[in-house]
Amino acid sequence: MIEQTVFYIFSALLLLSAGLMITVRNPVFAALFLILSFFSTSAIWLLLEAEFLAITLVVVYVGAVMILFMFVVMMLDINLSALREGFARYLPIGGMVAISMALSMVLVINAGEFGLASDTVQRHGADYSNTKELGVALYTHYLYPFEIAGAILLVAIIAAITLTMRGPRSSKAQKPGEQVLVKSTDRLRIIKMKSEGADSEPEKDPLAESKLAQSEDITVKKESL
Amino acid sequence: MYLVCLHEVFFNFWIDKGVTNQVLENYFPILLFIVIGLVLGVSMIVIGFGLGKIMGHARPYKAKQSPYECGFEAFENARIKFDVRYYLVAILFIIFDLEIAFLFPWAVVLDEIGMAGFWAMMIFLAVLVVGFIYEWRKGALEWE
Amino acid sequence: MISKAEILILMPEIFILTLACLILIVDTFSQDPLRRVTYYLSQLTLVLTAVLVIGFSPEQTVYAFGNSFISDGMSVVLKTGVFVISFFAFLYSHEYLKEHGWLKGEYFVLGLFAILGMMILISAYSLLTVYLGLELLSLSLYAMIAMHRESTTASEAAMKFFVLGAIASGMLLYGMSMIYGVTGSLELGTIATNIESNGDNPLLVFGLVFIMVGIAFKLGAVPFHMWIPDVYQGSPTCVTLFIASAPKLAAFAMAMRLLVDGLQPLLNDWQGMLIILSILSMATGNIIAISQTNIKRMLAYSTIAHVGFLLLGLLSGTPSGYAGSMFYIITYALMSMGAFGMIILLGRKGFEADELAHFKGLSERSPWFAFIMLILMFSMAGVPPFLGFWGKWFVLKEVVDAGFVWLAATAVFFSIIGAYYYIRVIKFMYFDKADSMTAIKASKQMRFALSVNGLALLILGLMPGALLAICVSVLSIAA
Repeated sequence: MIEQTVFYIFSALLLLSAGLMITVRNPVFAALFLILSFFSTSAIWLLLEAEFLAITLVVVYVGAVMILFMFVVMMLDINLSALREGFARYLPIGGMVAISMALSMVLVINAGEFGLASDTVQRHGADYSNTKELGVALYTHYLYPFEIAGAILLVAIIAAITLTMRGPRSSKAQKPGEQVLVKSTDRLRIIKMKSEGADSEPEKDPLAESKLAQSEDITVKKESL
Repeated sequence: MYLVCLHEVFFNFWIDKGVTNQVLENYFPILLFIVIGLVLGVSMIVIGFGLGKIMGHARPYKAKQSPYECGFEAFENARIKFDVRYYLVAILFIIFDLEIAFLFPWAVVLDEIGMAGFWAMMIFLAVLVVGFIYEWRKGALEWE
Repeated sequence: MISKAEILILMPEIFILTLACLILIVDTFSQDPLRRVTYYLSQLTLVLTAVLVIGFSPEQTVYAFGNSFISDGMSVVLKTGVFVISFFAFLYSHEYLKEHGWLKGEYFVLGLFAILGMMILISAYSLLTVYLGLELLSLSLYAMIAMHRESTTASEAAMKFFVLGAIASGMLLYGMSMIYGVTGSLELGTIATNIESNGDNPLLVFGLVFIMVGIAFKLGAVPFHMWIPDVYQGSPTCVTLFIASAPKLAAFAMAMRLLVDGLQPLLNDWQGMLIILSILSMATGNIIAISQTNIKRMLAYSTIAHVGFLLLGLLSGTPSGYAGSMFYIITYALMSMGAFGMIILLGRKGFEADELAHFKGLSERSPWFAFIMLILMFSMAGVPPFLGFWGKWFVLKEVVDAGFVWLAATAVFFSIIGAYYYIRVIKFMYFDKADSMTAIKASKQMRFALSVNGLALLILGLMPGALLAICVSVLSIAA
């Protein structure tokens, strides 16, 4: 009884939030409704005793994927009016395709075809662990697909980095560590100069000129740091 | 304490009716938690708005409702574009989050799957460590 | 549990994955703007993996890892084909990337992962491995296209490919879930026996339709071809070259595994679907290609037309028909690689020779490469002594043998229409004046590889028996 009530509540919530997700105008709200529908789905999974899938859905999708969605929504600066253009134009053909698909699905798919019509879903005791069953299957029978998944994740890392990394930035932030380590020889270079003849212009002091050279050197060094 | 009592009461009720399900029973506190959270949240909103409607008074006009930006008209949309670097961090996070999702069932069944299962995970981790070294070398983890 | 023999069968895949990881790390230490170490290591990996594949090729069909992996004659031949083609593709790519100045080590690493994906797809014997192999391949390709970040057309192409590819993958997965729901198995062999023993179920055909959409998309058959022209045109030419060649072999293998190994009992259903796809592809591809002025776009439509031809062999439903298709797809991959290689050859920094007009007067600028292009174009059109003719010939023969004479006649009709735009390129090269007489600037390796590529079509065309014999023998064992 209670189980069924919970099921109906969460499936109603799922349908509602999924519907709202594609109809609300604000993309941030859409993302939030998507989170709500993930939550409801995870509750339904829990009712099917698929604990691990339910928890993964919350941890991975609600926890991580949705954050990414939010970033993308924030990053893209979506122009809503432009998105909605052409909706009316494509509605007839899109609607026709959707209706015919839905009709054929209704005609063809029913639980009986999958051998699920009988009302005897096996229930387990309190010590049953869905995670355990999944683990045993995954790490023995499905070992090869599991390793391929690892390779796919690696490709995702490589792709994400090559496509979005802009290389090291030249930021103007101070680096105190390097500032402390600087020695006087890094900043000041004493240049030996030939003393100019006594007949040269007297007001041009060789010492002053070398100072000038040094100070220029300092500025150059500072920039390079 | 109160919650635990409630839990007991409900279960006794269920067991009496003979409709308990052993696995789901473990998750009953979570359901209760959600229900209480919902009731609390909704009631606070309802009470807050209700009291506000009854006791307060609202007389909005244009100037009052316009966004305030140091006395200027608002220049632009409040939503600014994020840097793409946030995206990179988020996607790298997701990848390692997924890895943990794989580690979880592995840890649970480690004693049943034998050496093959153990080494399978080691290879999986090694592949992702390669990805991690690559990230590190490329400087994708540096924010500046 | 896992036996040592199973790991030995998987040796080539393990090797290429290990080397790809190693190259990825080595590349981050490389300061060389030409990425020579990365490039040579990648090529070495390809050669060694090819040796491993041939060395570990089993006497008879072997299954491993709970029947999710298969190693048979077809997989060995197709994988070897993938390595040969990828070797050339990497060579052309290295030249192209060097010339256009955005060479990155990740290009080759992603290429190796794409090749790993193709290997997994070719050897897949369960719905799960088919899907995972396909995703590994596609993900790498999306990234390779988008890698040139300064180019807006490349980003657009990557975006279109990604979105449409994701939808197609979704369709494929949906179809697979239907098949799994009915048969209760992911493994292709079990699916086939289950269908045979349990007979008809409307859900099977329903699932088949969705699987067919996925296959048609990956191959690029009409009406799921929309991505091909835009992606081929928008991508950097070296990536187009790669996409247009090696992955086609993998897509063919995917069709073979799913339709022939898994859904053979539904032959009557998928035969009809393939006939429609095939006729539409040949008609659309050949007719629209005529009006193209961009040669990359023209070759994209020509791909669609070739896919139509390829499907003819598949739909005949006999082992020799499949052999004809396999011969055709290998032939096609060689030709399209050469044609895109020519575009790379004629391009230079800041200039892509992707308009038909750029081929005007090529015979004056470089008689030799005009001749190579002539071989390529004649071969694509299916003119007798060249390899492309034999591909068409074998496929048509099988279709006639299977009793579809009208279909063979339609195919011949459309390929005659198609000959027009191939021969137009030859006319441009030999009878028109060049717009500019800039000398062709290309390295020795590039010239050599392209010459080998072109001459191979001529030489194999003069003696097509050997290649066909291989195709027939591996498929007759499988069937």
